[in-house]
Amino acid sequence: MPIRQKIFFLTIAVVLLLVILELVRRRRLRVEYSWLWLASALTIVLMILRYDLLIWITGLVGAVIPTSTLFFFSILYLALLSLNYSVRLSDLTRQVKELAQEVALLRAESSSSWEAPAARPPDPPRASAK
Amino acid sequence: MLVVIPAWNEAANLHGVVGELRGARPDDDLLVVDDGSTDGTAELARRLDCRLVELPFHLGYGAAVQAGVKYGLRRGYPVAVTFDGDGQHDPADVEPLVEAVRQGADVALGSRFLSPGAYHGGLFRRAGRRLFSLLLRALTGLRLTDPTSGLKALGPRGQTLFALARFPDRFPDADALVLARRARLALAERPARMRQSHNRHSMHGGGRAVAYTFNMFLSLLVAAAGRESDLRG
Repeated sequence: MPIRQKIFFLTIAVVLLLVILELVRRRRLRVEYSWLWLASALTIVLMILRYDLLIWITGLVGAVIPTSTLFFFSILYLALLSLNYSVRLSDLTRQVKELAQEVALLRAESSSSWEAPAARPPDPPRASAK
Repeated sequence: MLVVIPAWNEAANLHGVVGELRGARPDDDLLVVDDGSTDGTAELARRLDCRLVELPFHLGYGAAVQAGVKYGLRRGYPVAVTFDGDGQHDPADVEPLVEAVRQGADVALGSRFLSPGAYHGGLFRRAGRRLFSLLLRALTGLRLTDPTSGLKALGPRGQTLFALARFPDRFPDADALVLARRARLALAERPARMRQSHNRHSMHGGGRAVAYTFNMFLSLLVAAAGRESDLRG
């Protein structure tokens, strides 16, 4: 791998790493999700520094040229990532549904003329916001 | 007992539905579940003096029914009836279902195929329903003629099942019955007349029928092969 390529891609990988770390630091990215992105960035760095590793894997899976190995695993990785997002979305969908139902049920309870309003305690005096 | 009426933009039909129910069943509590309507369905329900659960946004038919069932469960109704808000169900058919629950059924279904000469839908609907009937029989051994029926009466155990977090919440049909069977609930079927729905967005209509059939097929298999823990809280 020519030195010019190495420097170019290393720069990109390092910037990616810094962006991820900054996102975590600002709490924009949850820590438990960040390891995946950190691992991705570090893999890129590793592939740049140890091109022979890529060639070795290429021989291992029986591919002809290293670029196809790279593209194959990149696409596989992205596909698994979307699958992971689908699972998370399914979870979130169910949670949002449960929450929406709960909100609606609680609102029905608190505003309902069907329940005895006398049973409700009077509002406590409002404390001044500090 | 409680009548759960899921309603999504049913302002045009709700007046008639509530009026008919009040006429036929004056002692029942009517609960309208407004599923994120934009046509004033909730306002109308309030004006009609119904109980109201107002979902903050549109969740879909199954989730709306489920919200209503949760309402009934928390207030300890011995029977909760689900009754579509589009006017396709007949209040006269409710009593046999309630009676079936009183006699020990956990879920009682209104079936249009047990009542002679009623609306049976088009060719595709009939074929689809036949397919799901057969599938249901293969999976559970149950002979139910109309698994897609939205008219149901639920006893306490039926209500508990319908309130489960992992209950099929799109269109609980045959998949719900498979789950009910796996949870060892007693199922019953009674004749019910179904009127042609005056609904603009009938849920099984048009190009969505294919997607619906496919989804239901998958959902059936999931219900049949799902984990035991899905049957608990």
